[in-house]
Amino acid sequence: MSDGEIRTDGGTTSTTARLRRNLDQLTVEDVGLYVVLAFAAAFYLVPIESGLVTSFKTGIAIVETAPFAPPGPSGLTLEKWQTAIDALLRGMGNSLLYAVPATVISAFVGSITAYGLTIPTWKKSYKAVVLMLIIAGIFIPYQAVLVPLTQFWSQWAQLDQVLSFVWALGIDNDYVGIIELVITHVAYGIPICTLLFRTYYKTMSEEMIESARLDGATLRRVYRRIVLPLSGPMFAVVLIYQFTQIWNDLLFTLVIVSTESSPAAPVVLILAGLGSSLEGQDFALRMAGAFFAALPTLAVYIFFGEEFAEGVAA
Amino acid sequence: MATLELDSITKTFQDGDEEIVAVDDVSLSIDDGEFLVVVGPSGCGKSTTLRMVAGLETITAGTLSIDNRVVNDVKSQDRDIAMVFQSYALYPHMSVRQNMSFGLEESTDLPDDEINQMVSETGEMLGISNLLDRKPSDLSGGQQQRVALGRAIVRDPEVFLMDEPLSNLDAKLRAEMRTELQRLQNDLGVTTVYVTHDQTEAMTMGDRIAILDGGELQQIATPLECYHEPANRFVASFLGEPSMNFFDVTLEGDRLVGDAFEYPIDEGVRADLGDATDLVLGIRPEAVELVDEDGDHEFETTVDVVEPMGDENTVYLHFDPDADPETAATLVATIDGFNRVSEGDTVTARIPEDAIHLFDRNTGEALHNRSMENAADQINL
Repeated sequence: MSDGEIRTDGGTTSTTARLRRNLDQLTVEDVGLYVVLAFAAAFYLVPIESGLVTSFKTGIAIVETAPFAPPGPSGLTLEKWQTAIDALLRGMGNSLLYAVPATVISAFVGSITAYGLTIPTWKKSYKAVVLMLIIAGIFIPYQAVLVPLTQFWSQWAQLDQVLSFVWALGIDNDYVGIIELVITHVAYGIPICTLLFRTYYKTMSEEMIESARLDGATLRRVYRRIVLPLSGPMFAVVLIYQFTQIWNDLLFTLVIVSTESSPAAPVVLILAGLGSSLEGQDFALRMAGAFFAALPTLAVYIFFGEEFAEGVAA
Repeated sequence: MATLELDSITKTFQDGDEEIVAVDDVSLSIDDGEFLVVVGPSGCGKSTTLRMVAGLETITAGTLSIDNRVVNDVKSQDRDIAMVFQSYALYPHMSVRQNMSFGLEESTDLPDDEINQMVSETGEMLGISNLLDRKPSDLSGGQQQRVALGRAIVRDPEVFLMDEPLSNLDAKLRAEMRTELQRLQNDLGVTTVYVTHDQTEAMTMGDRIAILDGGELQQIATPLECYHEPANRFVASFLGEPSMNFFDVTLEGDRLVGDAFEYPIDEGVRADLGDATDLVLGIRPEAVELVDEDGDHEFETTVDVVEPMGDENTVYLHFDPDADPETAATLVATIDGFNRVSEGDTVTARIPEDAIHLFDRNTGEALHNRSMENAADQINL
């Protein structure tokens, strides 16, 4: 078709001409498709947009304008963001203190476990049992372990006393909660990390591993020099997933740290109480707080986005 | 450099309750510096045998020794073996140089500059010096193949193992690499075991070839011996393209009686047969001649199909002009490319008595093979 030929040669047609021709060819189905797409986009974006505009509104503007409508010049304020940042900043620090180590450690342990369950040759029937036990861990709900978890940390593993020399250095002993959170999240994260890495390692070329073994590399060296460097994309997936999961988790922080007034209170704990008072809900403050608290997870997505896409495709 | 000895090597796999014998009592002895080609159809156990030598599979029974040292329980990385895989198995995150130094770094204590120099020298020898800083994904199939080869060569191992290393290359490159591999092996003098399913590679490359079928060793001999003096019907049919003609015949006195023809044999041949009467007559296509004379070993045939190959023609002949071409006994002959015959022609085909093979129909064992003096004449040795 001559029409198609002209269109592939972008040099001879101007953009407007092409646009006009595209409009001419628009069918009813196309229009319908775009309407539906626009509607769907709006449907998904409205809550975020509403939250964002609300966070910039004064108390009066919230009452007077629709939730998704932008505030007028008189109703615009940055005060809520200011308050939210002031209140949450110390929580952010605390959260990073356990979310980063817990994410990195669980990803690393998951990778090694998956390696052990995939590459070395040991009895298939033993492998299956170990794998089954690990996978079963994925299906234990958080709620089911809350009581045993509290008992474990308060009666069996009294880290508070073991680490007394640390508190002697002037660090608040509430920070034991941070260490407990790291260990708890690592333990809870290992099953899913192992599963994700195992799926990835299953697709690795067996001949390549065998070749490395024949080249004289031990199992440990094969992991260190071949498998680990090739795990980048899957690390991106696991890091994003685990970080989001651990950062946003409220249940374990409630059980282990419990009070928002604690110096070791994570951001989620402070956020939960932010903007609630006897006078009612301060919606603008709650929205500003929520957006501010979500920034690190957003940053992680942007930072590892490219590898993430590669890992998900694999 | 080393000798390699497989003594009654057996490998069985467990599949549920069933036991599958992949390699059955294979004994091979490979000399220092020898190039042995292991060949057979897919699933014959040739790769499993190679993997046992490499230490990638455990040995169920038998002993494997390298330089008279039993290595059954020695780990792969301690056997001083280098292997080239069909998929090349290069490390994708490393440059060519890193790929080639990996083995030396892991298996020796050589300083970095020495390793670097060895890699550069090997790269030069293989003509890949200009590729050393590239990643495998930037290389063509042939280049990757060279890198895989270089990775094995640079380590200067006791034994080279190659698992169908050329099968991913196109036909032209494969032919080139075949020659080059042979030359390299000759120069380096490293004991090599080469596994392939390609009978051309088997015939052209090896000092000796070992033919496997169903996990059992059928024959181990020089390529020409295997070709002209096959130990059994399987070897005879596996080597040669087009493959050997086979006709079921019965010995009656001094005549072989088949469905389509009767073939008289002389005393010497008769003596080789012993008590066996149910036989298979085998004749290579290139041994069949089209002649103008009549005789006991000449048969009138009809040309069914002619396949011109340029230098030669492959013709399919029927003994009975009226027979159904689908089921009738067919004699395949390779004749000179200038010898013009066409479909439907009647020609006289001679099956020379000194070129026939006779096999026991029940065991497949060769009872009589063509005489080698005559074969030597034909191939101008």
